[in-house]
Amino acid sequence: MSGRLVQLAWRNLWRNPRRTFIAMAAIALGYAMLLFVACLMAGLRWQMIENGTRLVLSEIQVHASGYYPSRSIQKTIGGRKGTDVSALLAAITADPRVYAAAPRVYGYGLASASHGSSAGVALMGVVPDQEPKVTVLNTQIVKGDYLTKLRPHGVVVGDKLAGVIGVEVGSEMVLLAQAADGSMGNDLYTVGGIFHTGLDVLDRNLVLMPLSSLQELLQLTPDRIHEVGIKLHNITEATTVATALQARLSKTLPVEVSAWPTLAPDLADYVQFNHGVTLVLFLIFFLLAVIGIMNTMLMAVFERTRELGMLMALGMRPVQVIGLIMAEAAGLAVASLVLGAAIGAPLLWYLQEHGLDLGGATGEVVSVAGVVVGHLWYGRQDFSAYAQAAVGLAVTALVSALYPAWRAAHFRPTEAIRKV
Amino acid sequence: MRWHKTTIGVLLGLILLGLGQRCHATENQRARELVDRVARLFSGKSSIATLQMRISGENGQRDLTLKIWTQGENALVRIISPEKDAGTAVLRIGSDIWYYLPKVNRTIKAPSSMTTMSWMGSGFTLDDLVKQSGLERDYSLATSFEGKRGEVPVYEYTLTPKPGAAVVWGKIVLQIRQANLMPAWQGFYDENGNLIRDLTFSDYKTMSGRLMPTRLVMRSTDKPGQQTTIVYQDIAFGVPISAETFSLSNLKR
Repeated sequence: MSGRLVQLAWRNLWRNPRRTFIAMAAIALGYAMLLFVACLMAGLRWQMIENGTRLVLSEIQVHASGYYPSRSIQKTIGGRKGTDVSALLAAITADPRVYAAAPRVYGYGLASASHGSSAGVALMGVVPDQEPKVTVLNTQIVKGDYLTKLRPHGVVVGDKLAGVIGVEVGSEMVLLAQAADGSMGNDLYTVGGIFHTGLDVLDRNLVLMPLSSLQELLQLTPDRIHEVGIKLHNITEATTVATALQARLSKTLPVEVSAWPTLAPDLADYVQFNHGVTLVLFLIFFLLAVIGIMNTMLMAVFERTRELGMLMALGMRPVQVIGLIMAEAAGLAVASLVLGAAIGAPLLWYLQEHGLDLGGATGEVVSVAGVVVGHLWYGRQDFSAYAQAAVGLAVTALVSALYPAWRAAHFRPTEAIRKV
Repeated sequence: MRWHKTTIGVLLGLILLGLGQRCHATENQRARELVDRVARLFSGKSSIATLQMRISGENGQRDLTLKIWTQGENALVRIISPEKDAGTAVLRIGSDIWYYLPKVNRTIKAPSSMTTMSWMGSGFTLDDLVKQSGLERDYSLATSFEGKRGEVPVYEYTLTPKPGAAVVWGKIVLQIRQANLMPAWQGFYDENGNLIRDLTFSDYKTMSGRLMPTRLVMRSTDKPGQQTTIVYQDIAFGVPISAETFSLSNLKR
């Protein structure tokens, strides 16, 4: 019986192809729009998270308890004695979800060139061949080389800092920093590379140097590090993996494992905001779709008053009339979603592969909430959002067919037959 | 007759008023003089001092020997020991600061804000070591207490910044021993009246003909368990110092 109802509904849909196509076009275009918006928003979120974490932050950081956010030089992992760094790294990378981990040391100091003025700087010590697996600052070198190609006393500085203290590639630079024992650590370095990220806070303040050189300057033994930066295979697992690592590592070491939403609350807030905006856009499109579908369904029912009256006169019960119209709506929705997906797919592919060009020909760097996004706005596939949109639209179509169906079920066959 | 009485009354009133003010003025002036003298205790037109600095805290203990030359606005601080830091020197000319780092044999110009930051990991700043006394210029003064603090009778003065004065502290409290008019304790407070650090003076000795405290202990409330002690070994005031002393070429020597 219900099989026949579906068959009947399907045939009904194609008896007036133009009407059905108009209705389908409304839903399909609505769906394509939702796909487009979801893809762009997911792309923006992704780009924000990626760019916000991949320059220096990394996706997960391990610190000694209490190190973050005061960043006291004394609070190295494992306390004053430090810890076996390679064992710690091995313990972290034992988690199959971890892609790579790299140790880091931080300090604050004064950088000065022979004849230029001096400037306060943030010192970051990294292992030259490990850090690039976690962050990408090595790809932002605009002059000279990255640490891997430099001698131990070679450092890499931001372009704005280089301008302020007057150094170029090959210049000597003195670094002065308060060491762990309270003394004034100082040494002479050579600027080997200059980077440009577009982020003022890095370009103006950061001096990147080999881990061992910074440990030497700060009078820290090789076992003393401040942080391990971690990159995962899948960044969306950051919070879960951080919790797991916290539980596992803190059995032997008093550590604090934080995922990027804790490390960069601004970024996390932005992602939350982006989700909110996406939801609002979705609701607006749903509202438009509901009105369109309801209108089409109402028209479709009232145009067929006579026909439906005839069916009822032949013995079709009101419940079956409701079933018929709902089946038509469902068929319409499914066909429309398929059409919408067909329209949307190449669009989504284009967004993911080529992106929207925001900066135009100038190639200007665009930054949002302190994060460089780049001038190309890439989309990213967000299948759960696509599925949600599809289910949402289908439900919308069904709900908006309820009223016309209910109206049709209450036709009086004798009157309905006489309607032209 | 009546006229006479009024005049006398007015005159008397004026005299009393004047006396009161005189009294007040002398009181305030005495305080000023005291505070000013205390503020200048460690400096003079010129001075050469040798002192020991002991920084102790959770990082262990470090001992430094410093030699300090001052003349007016200029100052030179050189580390004599330990071996590792020996030769490191700071030169201040007016508001400009240079560091000499013997390890790398370089002189660097430091931002003048460094004079108000911890010096060599100690509780003292460079400004503390080579005071350019701006107390009487930047702060207004009030006697806040007179009597015994602990067992020691003191005068206690509270210094508050004058409007618009570019100073670090919200309030400075200075206790001066009544017995010898020497500083006993100095407290440095922030704008909210919280004690940030305090300096205790002791071991009063006559050096270069001047009675002065030779032992100073600085503590910071935000670093409990850490303290820096300075002991003056010798100090000479008013000695002629050649202008050459305060030069970049001498800094390196």
